[in-house]
Amino acid sequence: MEKSNIAKGKERKEVFTTSSGIPIKRIYTPEDVADLDYNRDLGPSGEDPYTRGIYPTMYRGKLWTIRQFGGLNAAEATNDRYKLMYQMGVTGFAIAIDDASLIGFDPDSPEAEGEVGVGGVSVFSLKDMEDMFDGLPIDKISTAVIQAINTTCPHTAMYLALAENRGIDLRDVDGTTEGDPCSFGGCSDLKANPAPVRQLMRLCGDLVEWCAINAPKWHPVSFTSYNYREAGVNAYQEIGGLVASAVDLIEEVLSRDRGLTVDDFVPHYTFHLASHNDFFEEIAKMRAARRMWCKIMTERYDAKDPRTKMLRFHVQTSGSTLTYQQPINNAIRVAYQSLAAALGGVQSLHACSYDEALCIPTEEAVTLSIRTQQILQNESNVTNTIDPLAGSYYVESLTNEVEKRAMDFFHQIEDHGGWTKALELGWLRQQTEKEAIKYEEEIRTGKRRIVGVNCFQMEEDPSKITYFRPDPEIYKKQKARAEKLKEERDNDKVEETLNELRDADDSGENVMPAMMKAVKAYATLEEMTDVTVRRHFASGTKSIFSHLSRMIE
Amino acid sequence: MERKIRVLTAKLGFDMHNRGMSVVNRALRDGGTEVVYIGNQFPEGIAETALQEDVDVIGISSLNSASSLELMERVMGIIKKKHLEDKLVIFGGIVLPDDVPKLKEMGVNEYFPPGSNVDSIVSYIKENVPQ
Repeated sequence: MEKSNIAKGKERKEVFTTSSGIPIKRIYTPEDVADLDYNRDLGPSGEDPYTRGIYPTMYRGKLWTIRQFGGLNAAEATNDRYKLMYQMGVTGFAIAIDDASLIGFDPDSPEAEGEVGVGGVSVFSLKDMEDMFDGLPIDKISTAVIQAINTTCPHTAMYLALAENRGIDLRDVDGTTEGDPCSFGGCSDLKANPAPVRQLMRLCGDLVEWCAINAPKWHPVSFTSYNYREAGVNAYQEIGGLVASAVDLIEEVLSRDRGLTVDDFVPHYTFHLASHNDFFEEIAKMRAARRMWCKIMTERYDAKDPRTKMLRFHVQTSGSTLTYQQPINNAIRVAYQSLAAALGGVQSLHACSYDEALCIPTEEAVTLSIRTQQILQNESNVTNTIDPLAGSYYVESLTNEVEKRAMDFFHQIEDHGGWTKALELGWLRQQTEKEAIKYEEEIRTGKRRIVGVNCFQMEEDPSKITYFRPDPEIYKKQKARAEKLKEERDNDKVEETLNELRDADDSGENVMPAMMKAVKAYATLEEMTDVTVRRHFASGTKSIFSHLSRMIE
Repeated sequence: MERKIRVLTAKLGFDMHNRGMSVVNRALRDGGTEVVYIGNQFPEGIAETALQEDVDVIGISSLNSASSLELMERVMGIIKKKHLEDKLVIFGGIVLPDDVPKLKEMGVNEYFPPGSNVDSIVSYIKENVPQ
């Protein structure tokens, strides 16, 4: 059949498109990039508009950081895992925190039953942070504190307090807080799961403001388009949203009029993108994102500091592309996605593990992820030169198209009043769902082929993998740990610091100084988020769930 | 006119991965059932709502293999206590392959792993809903 196609000059499909639906030609020629102006559109790496990379030397100077996202059971087990990873050459960590802590509940809370140790490590006080990093040189590594929006400030304060208690100057602590309140609404249905979005933006703004002055190497926010990409949006919507959300937080901080300019705090922004299946589209996306950010920071904000205009980013390979069926195949998906990130000029990378569609990764699976990155860094030689795909008729043309569509999406968000407003209106959620449904429809009809899922299926998978299972006693153990902590600490001091936190929260002052004191007094996550988050729910209840949100059609 | 099949759908506990749920909700509506989606709920909230809303089917989703079995045990315990065994209970999301028999033993009628064709979920409901 295909042989006769060749004879007749026929093609396998009527239309070829990228994963996001951008039509792709049979072949690209100089005509497709006739308007490309090297200095204006590309330029050398490390220079405006940073399309080719943010640093002049890129991987010839420093390889991207291997930053694996990990956390399991309680602090001690995670400490063992981190030490193992450190021995294997990992210098960047990202703490995967369990669901109970992410929402802001202590293990001794009734809401936490069944949720402790789920999806990550239980971290509810400074004590957990101390145990988790025991024996690890936090002045030599960089850590991303990956939490959900409810716990942005307290979890970051725990890590920074740990550093201070070890005698490290906060000005030297390197790492990232990921609690991007903006990423939440794109993934979550605010009708079903309401959240005090404005208060969450304010807390994130507080952290940005406080770090700009007190912890200048710390990245207080990492805008996480990864989350809504995973929830459904396509490649160009991902970066359109990324820029819109970062712009919204700039507006939040500037609106306070406390003397900060964009060049004071935007250099500390970082970004967290996905690397999905469409190899060239992902590379084009990363290049387009850098150029787009530089343009907006220059044109709209008149940024002077080059670092304000540099889009520095972490990439996580796309978890939603991993399949439950034939899980070993996921290792290959991850390798291609990692290569795309490398060619896209990433600063740090998490390579997913092949078992992540099933469970928290096992030690074997994590080892393979780390080695995947090390093989890429040490054997493939893709690190020899910068942005090797520049000048490709196809890649340049696709970079332009992705940027154009991303800019359109950005303007649509602005037309809805900016990211936060578009989120509150439910518009972003609608866009996310629409794309997720379209994607699924393509899989259902076979237009989009997924090996092992809608083609090349197997009744029985010949390769057996082992599964990670959390400690079955984790809930009991952590509950006891919480009770013990609350007995042993100085409870008067806790009360005093929590009152101070409440006053700061009420007055509109920055909450971080009081939060640092509360954390050092071993106030718990739930005690602190009761003050800074749960008091702000419209219903005034402690429940994170709306009573009932009916959506009957 | 014939009464539409009523399906209660929920995300289990704190699991915030709701992409699959959105897709399934749409497929169920397109397939002619009436969907009552209640977002994230604790097991007690799910069972309570099933009773109040007089649904025929309870569809629960979670992507956390670490908590899905334990929380589903709580759901099924309440369903038995409240005599809701006539409802068809289906679970979508991640349960480790080795644990699927356990899910069935506790009374869950069917399990749909990631990658399931959404049409198969709709047709399963239509064929198996109690008359």
